[in-house]
Amino acid sequence: MKLVRATNSRLVFELGHREQRSLPQILKLYPCVPPAHHVFSKSDRLPDREGNQQLLDEAMAEQRAENKKQVQALLTDPRKFEHTEAGARLSLSLAEVEWLMQVLNDIRVGSWVILGSPDQKPAELTSANAAHFLTMEMAGYFQMQLLEALGGET
Amino acid sequence: MDSKFRLLDKRGGFFYVGAMAETATPQIQPGIVQTTEDKPKSGLEPGYLVICWNDPVNFMDYVTHVFQAVFGWPRKKAEFHMLQVHEQGKSVLTRESLEKAEHYVHQLQKYTLHATMERDE
Repeated sequence: MKLVRATNSRLVFELGHREQRSLPQILKLYPCVPPAHHVFSKSDRLPDREGNQQLLDEAMAEQRAENKKQVQALLTDPRKFEHTEAGARLSLSLAEVEWLMQVLNDIRVGSWVILGSPDQKPAELTSANAAHFLTMEMAGYFQMQLLEALGGET
Repeated sequence: MDSKFRLLDKRGGFFYVGAMAETATPQIQPGIVQTTEDKPKSGLEPGYLVICWNDPVNFMDYVTHVFQAVFGWPRKKAEFHMLQVHEQGKSVLTRESLEKAEHYVHQLQKYTLHATMERDE
């Protein structure tokens, strides 16, 4: 995945054939982070801590639902993935890039949580953890391409 | 694609080591008496701290980017706080009113950063 065109409002990426296949497969896994992962406060000294936690849970649930709709729209919009000889071209507004990074990070962090939130890479890949590890790495790969493209913009 | 993964391994998590910002030396001129005056805390609305905690999964560049996007900080300030998270386990990002702190925590959690709100004692 590489940046091929950048304007003030849009970024166009070229994806190889494998990337063209794997990006939609990864995005279909959204959302990955379990709702209980979002903790509002570590201490019990906040006024109405439970109420604030509930507000956060509701906000995150709303966002997950909205993001899921947007992911579906992205994957089914033929104007977004333009097929080319090399694979595909993906055209995104800057806001869409920002949004896609959030979605990819959810998938990356969610896969890490499923792996048991390890400090290091799993010492051994097994049939139980290999798919989650690969998802985590692939989501991170696409995330970094977007981040680098944004870095070039600013 | 293997080489990309190796590159990510180096960037992944909080594995970079960076230099902390230098401490500025106060300059005192002759004839000028410097006083430091702490505002009394008692009369103020209680403040709420927005804290970002370390985790081994979020990319350092991503954390820096999120701080810039959420707070509108320049890159250097965002990097300073990101490194503080990395080296000290957490960074107090801002002290705000209840509503504002709540807003920032929600924004940071949208990006799946480990951010919480704590009361400033």
